[in-house]
Amino acid sequence: MTSFQLLLDGFAAALTPVNLMYALIGVTLGTLVGVLPGIGPAMTVALLLPITFTVPPASAFIMFAGIYYGGMYGGSTTSILLNTPGESASMITALEGNKMARRGRAAQALATAAIGSFVAGTVATALLVVAAPAVVDFAISFGPEDYFALAILAFTAVSSVLSRSIVRGLASLGLGLVIGLIGIDQQTGQARLTLGIPQLLDGIDVVIVAVGLFALGEALYVASRLRHAPPEVVPVGRAWMGRADWRRSWFPWLRGTALGFPFGALPGGGAEIPTFLSYAAEKRLARGVAREEFGNGAIEGVAGPEAANNASAAGTLVPLLTLGLPTSATAAILLAAFQQYGLQPGPQLFDHNPALVWGMIASLFIGNTMLLVLNLPLAPLWARVLRVPRPYLYSGIVLFAALGVYALNGTIVDLFVLYLLGLLGYAMRRFGLPVAPAVIGMILGPMAEIQLRRALAIGAGDVSVLVRSPVAVVLLVLAALALLTPLFRKLAGRRRQTATTSAGE
Amino acid sequence: MTRWWRPELGLAIVVLVLGVLVVVGTLDVSAAASQLGIGPRFFPMLVGGAMVLIGLFYVADVLRGGHGDPEESEDVDTDAPTDWRGVGLVSGIFLAFAALLNVLGWIIGASLLFFALSLALGAEHKSRAAVVAVVMGVTTYLLFVKGLGVTLPGGPLEGVI
Repeated sequence: MTSFQLLLDGFAAALTPVNLMYALIGVTLGTLVGVLPGIGPAMTVALLLPITFTVPPASAFIMFAGIYYGGMYGGSTTSILLNTPGESASMITALEGNKMARRGRAAQALATAAIGSFVAGTVATALLVVAAPAVVDFAISFGPEDYFALAILAFTAVSSVLSRSIVRGLASLGLGLVIGLIGIDQQTGQARLTLGIPQLLDGIDVVIVAVGLFALGEALYVASRLRHAPPEVVPVGRAWMGRADWRRSWFPWLRGTALGFPFGALPGGGAEIPTFLSYAAEKRLARGVAREEFGNGAIEGVAGPEAANNASAAGTLVPLLTLGLPTSATAAILLAAFQQYGLQPGPQLFDHNPALVWGMIASLFIGNTMLLVLNLPLAPLWARVLRVPRPYLYSGIVLFAALGVYALNGTIVDLFVLYLLGLLGYAMRRFGLPVAPAVIGMILGPMAEIQLRRALAIGAGDVSVLVRSPVAVVLLVLAALALLTPLFRKLAGRRRQTATTSAGE
Repeated sequence: MTRWWRPELGLAIVVLVLGVLVVVGTLDVSAAASQLGIGPRFFPMLVGGAMVLIGLFYVADVLRGGHGDPEESEDVDTDAPTDWRGVGLVSGIFLAFAALLNVLGWIIGASLLFFALSLALGAEHKSRAAVVAVVMGVTTYLLFVKGLGVTLPGGPLEGVI
């Protein structure tokens, strides 16, 4: 069957009333948590994991995909209407978007963000349909050593890209790997690092880790340095834009998509780099009015990065679905969700569960359309959500965190573990350790170990088996480059600095 | 406290010590079970060793004056000094909630958690916060226990709602 046919079957599965309802719940929740500061799609999916266990997997993933895409839409509303910089992926949108809003062009900024997200999401999902089967064909011959090398590449790339300081990125990764080690070794049944506590034999659930690091960590961090001035939200009516805005938005949308999709698919690519590149490109290409407006609210500076942002979300799904490789925190949680249903993303998933995979991909097209409808006319409603008093917002986040974690096993012990992880999340925020490498390390670490042991078992203990395949060698070289490049850049920078100071003397 | 001590050094030392603990803790694991390839000790040793190395670099970086930038977020004033009272209050409230949850039940426990946290985080109207807290406690219970079949402790209100 061609992938087009499979996609049509996917649409048939996704268009049932029940699955449409799950998609609608997903995109609505996703937009809500995207708009609200302090929570994001990763934590929301994690919180929903224990509750959705009774839902059939196809419906659950349709909802999760909606949350992922919805979060990307919602984030733009926050960065345009709120005069404080948000999280890194939407920081670039805030540069021009907030300036536009303060010049009375909030409706146009929201419209170009929403329509651009729709265009980018649709084009990038179509690219996913084309790219995924191709990657699957390539990856079907991957051996365990290739998967191990892939995991190593993901580890180093994520740690070095997401943080300004590579040692802090690696420290975060290490913390995640250690958490992932706790519990019974799956192959031999030996207890590892459980400190003799029976509750730790099953390991620490990914829900507790994600909710602790994201939700409780954020609440503690906010408590430690709360901005006491109430948030200043720019008022807005219905989102719309005129003919000139359309003309100025088209190319930035397409260029943003072209940048966002490949970066999303790369380990460590994420959404930050493509949004920044898109902004830089639009600024350089700006002519006439746009050139003068850049820095004071140019619509190109919103259209491009917002498209890049959404396209990268679709790009992230390529390595996740075809290789089981998460490249962002949300993707890592989605991977954990697959595991909870006993599914392992990878080439086999496309063979064994085509209905699930293609239903999920089809639902991305549907969810994108829903999001456009949800975001254009309802922009004033989402703007009102931004005015939720902060004490209530963060109390609510902690309440739902406690609810989700208690619902896992119904034990109080989990709540205390949650608190410890919350403290860790607080410290990581306070000292600038990125959280995503820890989440990816925790979820991907055990899989890396399994692949490593498989590879070494095949090679009967001969370590050279790890570099026997050319794919593995290339991946490991890339991983080394990801680690060493920032070091070289630092050294080069220092040499230049000493050169200029000695020249100045 | 001397001049070289900075709070970030604490986190760096935690990373280092954790690495040592992983290595020491893994020595307890008996490695006999595996005949082919490597046993359950190899990968933890790798992770522990890497953590020790990263921890050393991290400690050195902090001692040489390196520092991470506090994460920016919508509701955070990164220039403000740490408000330890806020952190302590939120911690105390959460831990008390965790300890008392089974006695109080979800509705009372969660309402108190929400009420106390919102006051600690600066809610201005006590009565409004109380009303919101009770609404949150009751609706989450109804939604998740009656609606979605999640098990939450009923406490003294068991059977009443």
